[in-house]
Amino acid sequence: MKQITIIAVIAGFAALLPLAIGENPYFIGVLISVLMMAALSSAWNILGGYAGQYSFGHAAYFGAGAYTTMILISRFNINPLVSMVAGIIVACIIALITGSIVFRLRGHYFGLASIAVAEIVRLSALNFDFTGGAQGILLSDVSLWGLDLNSKLPFYYGMLLVLVITLGITLNLRTSKTGYYLQAIREDQDAAASLGINLSFYKNKALLISAALTSVLGSLYAVYIRFIDTTAVLDLRLSIEIILTAIIGGVGTLWGPVLGAVLLVPLAEMLRSNVIGDVLVKQGIVSANSGLGVFLKENLAHAHVLVYGIITVLCILYMPKGILGLFRRKK
Amino acid sequence: MFFLQSLLSGILTGGVYALAGIGMSLVFGVMNISNFAHGDLMMLGMYLAYFAFTLLHIDPYLSLLLIIPTAFLFGFILEKVFIHKIIDHPHQNQILLTIGLGLIMSNTALLAFTSDPKILTTSYSSSAVHILGGISLSVPLLLSFAITTVITGILFLFLSKTTTGLALWATSQNREAAQLMGINVAKMSAIAFGLGTALAATAGALIAPTYYIYPMAGHTFLLKAFTICVLGGLGSVVGAGIGGIIIGIVESMSSTYLSSDWKDVVVFIIFLAVLLLRPQGLLGKKGEQ
Amino acid sequence: MIQHLLHINHVSKHFGGNVAVSDISFSVDEKQIFGLIGPNGAGKTTLFNCISGFYPVTSGDIIFDNKTINNLRPDEVCHMGMARTWQRVKPLGSLTVLENVMIGAFSITNATRDAEEIAIEQLRSVGLTDYAQKIAGSLSIGLKKKLELARVLATRPKMLLLDEICGGLNHTETETILDIIREVRNKGATIVFIEHDMKAVTAICDWIVVLNSGEKLAEGTPEEITGNPEVIAAYLGGGHNA
Repeated sequence: MKQITIIAVIAGFAALLPLAIGENPYFIGVLISVLMMAALSSAWNILGGYAGQYSFGHAAYFGAGAYTTMILISRFNINPLVSMVAGIIVACIIALITGSIVFRLRGHYFGLASIAVAEIVRLSALNFDFTGGAQGILLSDVSLWGLDLNSKLPFYYGMLLVLVITLGITLNLRTSKTGYYLQAIREDQDAAASLGINLSFYKNKALLISAALTSVLGSLYAVYIRFIDTTAVLDLRLSIEIILTAIIGGVGTLWGPVLGAVLLVPLAEMLRSNVIGDVLVKQGIVSANSGLGVFLKENLAHAHVLVYGIITVLCILYMPKGILGLFRRKK
Repeated sequence: MFFLQSLLSGILTGGVYALAGIGMSLVFGVMNISNFAHGDLMMLGMYLAYFAFTLLHIDPYLSLLLIIPTAFLFGFILEKVFIHKIIDHPHQNQILLTIGLGLIMSNTALLAFTSDPKILTTSYSSSAVHILGGISLSVPLLLSFAITTVITGILFLFLSKTTTGLALWATSQNREAAQLMGINVAKMSAIAFGLGTALAATAGALIAPTYYIYPMAGHTFLLKAFTICVLGGLGSVVGAGIGGIIIGIVESMSSTYLSSDWKDVVVFIIFLAVLLLRPQGLLGKKGEQ
Repeated sequence: MIQHLLHINHVSKHFGGNVAVSDISFSVDEKQIFGLIGPNGAGKTTLFNCISGFYPVTSGDIIFDNKTINNLRPDEVCHMGMARTWQRVKPLGSLTVLENVMIGAFSITNATRDAEEIAIEQLRSVGLTDYAQKIAGSLSIGLKKKLELARVLATRPKMLLLDEICGGLNHTETETILDIIREVRNKGATIVFIEHDMKAVTAICDWIVVLNSGEKLAEGTPEEITGNPEVIAAYLGGGHNA
């Protein structure tokens, strides 16, 4: 089956999913997180997986979208879609500045510089007044075309749409000149340049596509949650989760980031909402009043990052090409 | 007067930064790895000093005698178990592995010690020495600067006079050639990572009496250590020493003349400026393009 | 009248205090097969890197097709019709042989289908058709060299810079490569190649420049060069093993 058909089938299935499971807000919420992380990681994958430029600062673009949108809506009452476009522009400006600095560098320096840019953006949002500083920005009311934005469904479909667009772009990349050029850059920059590839042009092109998509997701997330602060949308941890999701599924593959998100996000959600601790207690495996029971109840919610750390280490050591890498045919 | 005060406290803080930077640069030089767990190793040093003080009632500076060998061993084992496996991997995998190790350390600390910041208060924590009429220098900072100087001195003697030190130096100059000359580069890597860890933990212990101690404390220091290394030239130990002092001064000056909220931003802007204008660092001879 | 396609005019390249290439001048004519030889460290590859845009020259001018190309990037030089290979081959390791050549072909077309057609044709001309779907990184060194050649040829260059394209190859493989080079020249391209192997050079070149320690030692026809005592001395003195 052609990949595009697979994307259509899966998207169709995902579109019908809310009808099947009813409007359980909890499950819809988890699914939104899965779709968002799948899309974020797929967008990162265009730059990291195809062009081989590992950005460790993608939170900057997510935050740019989120902050721009929130500021424009909450202060100037601007239409959410217009605010989203403004977010894309801001993210692209940050991307161009980043690109002009970091794409001259190779190896270690690129990763380091991408973090530095993201940290400058984060600290600026934390220190400026118009970004709400440490308090962040709260949005009391928002409306668009009479949609019920108190429901989660518009955001579910919004995230799904961005994911499908991202996968479509990725698919197109795999068979287009730009896609081949990005892969050539990933494999060997000198060889690529000697074959007529303008390195900085194509790297910047990949970064801009990736940053714009990431920023749209940031805007959607902000309006969905109606509250943002630097910890939620600009933290280094977000950048790392995005990469990790792609790594687990398979970097440089079409479906790797989606697979990573499907596996990791529910796991994190279970840890965060303490499902595992509850199950252990309910099944009588651990007594609720025992020391361990209390410890699990209090602490498992914090453990999801620890689990991410363990998964990262195991994945890099034993499965550096991700789950899909295990199945990739050898020619 | 403000200027002089600011300059001197910058130099004193910079000394500790230099120690952290030297540790990272040593690892980079010998192993060609960017160690993203470096900040978390500093955090462990802070907690070690804290518990040595609260549980064993050992003065934080004296506890270095325990912390340095413990941290060295810890780093040595980390290298033998994890890091050596990815020494030939692409940079991004090395970065991700050390990020993963760092997340494990900081979040284990979070589970074990909770996120409440701890404060290590010694009898001399808030005492200061007054010089030149009006300039006050904090005693803990002075002590830690003095200890930093001694440790850096010992490290230099070690690197330049002992067989192991020279072998480390040779490995950092050219890994392949060192191997051909019969140097056990695998062992050198483990020693370098052990030393790097020991230096990070020492820096952590030295700042413990003047900072909040919490599980995520390593985060800011990690990026500072990178800035220092890049400023001095990745892999250059002397460069990292100078870079540390410069960053200390820059921070102190931006706190005095700008606002302490923006001091980290200034540091990162310098970081990017160095990458843009002189990616090989101040002392580096050759750099990647 | 024969045109100079490439003119090297008093080019020098310094690295810090080290002089890698010192005041070199020569001209390459259209449809020539031009050899650049010299012992290890003579500055041949450095000069190639300057010509192909990877290093900026310290002084002097490089004129290609009547334009000064000193300040052009490697990709711009490629688009002017000058393509190069690498002494240490640089296959795009995890892509297939066909994809490697397609990436070369993309410099003259934007359409994937056209690139694929050009690549298939190019693979046939160098005899790599059977390997089209193999991963480039898995090929033997001989096949990797052929792949490099196919890949640069797919950019349809006016001039080919070949950096030790026969290095590490056996006699038969060398002969095949030299045949391909002759054919490419007969179709109108100009070829400059760096070679250690004096035999390969004298067999195929119309004109040879000898470099030694970054300076031009001699130039002439293969007969003149092989009979030049200075050249022989440089090669022996340089501990050359060809």
